Amino acid sequence: MKRVLLSVTGTVVGLVALLNFKTHGHPIAAGTLPSAGLPNASSTSPAQAGTSTSAPPRAGTSSRSSTPAASAARTIAGSAVETRYGVVQVQVSVRGTKITNVQFLQLTAFDQRSAEINSAAAPILLQETLSAQSAHIDTVSGASYTSDGYAQSLQSALDQVGIK
Amino acid sequence: MGTVFSFDVRTPGFDTTVLDDAVDILQDIDARFSTFRDDSEVSRLAAGTLRISECSEDVQWVLRRCAELTAETDGYFSAYAGGALDPSGLVKGWAIEQASDLLCMAGSTSHCVNGGGDVQCVGWAGPDTPWRVGVSHPLRRGELATVVTGTDLAVATSGSAERGAHVVDPHTRRAPGALASVTLIGRHLSDVDAYATAAFAMDDAARGWLESLDGFRAFVVQADGATWSTGF
Amino acid sequence: MTPPSARARAPQPPLLRISPEVALGAIGVGALAVIALWWKDTIFISGWGDWLTNAGRITGLLAGYAVIVLLALMARVPALERGVGTDRLVRWHAAGGRYTVCLAVAHTLLIIWGYAVTAHSGLVHETGSLLTTYPDVMMGTVAVGLLVLVGIVSARAARRRLSYETWHFVHLYTYLAIALAFSHQFSTGADFINRAQARWLWSLMYIAVAALLVWYRLLAPLRSALRHRLHVVEVRQENADTVSVYVSGLRIDELRAEPGQFFRWRFLTRDLWWAANPYSLSAAPRPDLLRVTVKITGSHSAALRHLAPGTKVLAEGPYGSFTAARRTRRKVLLIAGGVGITPLRALFETLPGRPGDITLLYRVNRPEDLVLATELDAIAAQRRARVHYLVGPPKFDGSDHLSPRRLQRLVPGLAQHDVYVCGPEPMMNAARTSLRTSGVPRRNIHDESFTF
Repeated sequence: MKRVLLSVTGTVVGLVALLNFKTHGHPIAAGTLPSAGLPNASSTSPAQAGTSTSAPPRAGTSSRSSTPAASAARTIAGSAVETRYGVVQVQVSVRGTKITNVQFLQLTAFDQRSAEINSAAAPILLQETLSAQSAHIDTVSGASYTSDGYAQSLQSALDQVGIK
Repeated sequence: MGTVFSFDVRTPGFDTTVLDDAVDILQDIDARFSTFRDDSEVSRLAAGTLRISECSEDVQWVLRRCAELTAETDGYFSAYAGGALDPSGLVKGWAIEQASDLLCMAGSTSHCVNGGGDVQCVGWAGPDTPWRVGVSHPLRRGELATVVTGTDLAVATSGSAERGAHVVDPHTRRAPGALASVTLIGRHLSDVDAYATAAFAMDDAARGWLESLDGFRAFVVQADGATWSTGF
Repeated sequence: MTPPSARARAPQPPLLRISPEVALGAIGVGALAVIALWWKDTIFISGWGDWLTNAGRITGLLAGYAVIVLLALMARVPALERGVGTDRLVRWHAAGGRYTVCLAVAHTLLIIWGYAVTAHSGLVHETGSLLTTYPDVMMGTVAVGLLVLVGIVSARAARRRLSYETWHFVHLYTYLAIALAFSHQFSTGADFINRAQARWLWSLMYIAVAALLVWYRLLAPLRSALRHRLHVVEVRQENADTVSVYVSGLRIDELRAEPGQFFRWRFLTRDLWWAANPYSLSAAPRPDLLRVTVKITGSHSAALRHLAPGTKVLAEGPYGSFTAARRTRRKVLLIAGGVGITPLRALFETLPGRPGDITLLYRVNRPEDLVLATELDAIAAQRRARVHYLVGPPKFDGSDHLSPRRLQRLVPGLAQHDVYVCGPEPMMNAARTSLRTSGVPRRNIHDESFTF
């Protein structure tokens, strides 16, 4: 019995130790998103003559964490890795011990798995909501509006909220 | 195109300079497809100063796809609906899908691109939270007709509300009158946008066709204010 | 026919022996290499779903490695048999087998759970999805089910009720389980997809162990049978329930059997051919003669009395590490209980030693249980070694005959001896306890269990 307990505890401890080594403080995975600091950028494309803008202004907050430049920044390219969603190759920028940026260099989907994950939530129609304020929506679909109509559109209201 | 594009990227740590590239794509598509620009490939095609074989691959693909859609929708979607060549019924949704695909390739797993009311969402809006897309009410300004929630979904609405009657029935060359708006929900915006346009043009006949569509759901507001849906 | 005394042999190349420490070390290094495979492939993990899935991956990798180690232990590789010892290999295999079944089950559950969390789906739905849409997972599931079945049947409680043949038959299903589980490792294993080098190495490992199995359990015994053509020459009844069988053949010295070792004997008669039973050599092997002495405990051993001379014999081996190789000291004490005298009789004859160095204690319940006593006396006289017969019924706890005080009185300088113990399990336990109490270090006590 003692040996059984020893081997079970040893295995669990070993697993936890190994997994812990590989877990960084900055979670980067679909489904584990922090709610604060969402980047929300809106952009206008050059319209026809009349309301064209030469360079698209981009308003929005960046979610990059600004740590004091105490240590040098490094960029580490990882090897291609098979993940839950397919082959991923990641380039990680690190300053000190904080990950400041993660770039995915390769992302190929695995038919089976991504199909399974993608079909996770089928579209649902909510019948009861009618007021934009109480609906807590992320975006609005409607018949095409021009840039004139945009200003008064619900979408613009949403974009304003993000910009604040 | 005169369209306003909104990008809402929720992937943490995402390099927002990629959005510059996405805008570049949209500008490039505009340059080649816009019927409002005389120097675009589509305009020159329509004017006869450019041959199809001389067009870029994208344009050729779009035109082929338009032909397929015409067959799929019994002619209710047509790149020649108003008489002259105008593939914008497909191009807008397709352009947004391209921009969204670029974000995915750059590593985004969660974002929403809205171009003039056509929406392509990828992933989840938040932890265990699907995207919530409101559908503006065509008859009551400032109000929502309904809200659709889901993940990895595309939503396109076709109607006469804001721009006036710009959708015409290719068979009758007149604007349909029975429906106020048709909202189609599916996976890929290029298909969803085209089907929404076709369904709106179908008018009364839309219901039967929408119900037969596999993998797509629809929400319709009739001109008299009544609503119905298919596929939910 | 009187048993011969040890004769000087022509010098032969040293036998390869893998010690228990080296074997365990190699197994450990292999396990670390397997974990390193996972380590190299994983850049970062975050979130509960990732943790579960990666724990599932690690346990899966270890289970796939462990089954190969278990097979290797049972491949009857001579270097392992001589170095680690058959009984210890069997104990390792049994304990390791239990652990491996647990690893496999843990792997299954962790993967299901981890995938379910990542995909935000329910456990039942995820299980269904894994079974039906992922390649080879169905076979892998059957495999883990088979392993669990084998595990249950091998539990001590079950084995007491089942016949050996039934247990053995079910146990063979592990081969099927390993075969079924192999393909899903490559088609869904995150560390093998897109990694040709890892797949090659893994396959090489499996092929190498398969080769060992085929060679040492099938081909080598066949070759040995053809080469040595063993056959019975004489059967002698030693006492009411013990019989000695003399076997002869060609080039027996090529077998390189050492005193203290055993073979798995298959006597090719109509009744006995289907069983291969382990019996120790009860005399030093001669280039043309081997002898085993068997206690009659059942129908199989009883039938040995009637073996006709000329009966063909298949002998697999030699096996066992209960040999002179373990000795480290000048003085040696041999303690035999009942039928445990057989290997010790061979060692008593051959262990090098000056007069007074070797002592044999032979413990039996009744005087008529003694066997080979005349030979033992002859050897003792010739080598000036000592033999003591401890005859009498077992006391209340069976230890009085082998109490520390008695041992110390019989064997002066007990604590400086190397001790070889062989006999029924309770007797061996009593002997070991007394020896430890008397100051004999554990590493100088050598034993071999018959009942593995």
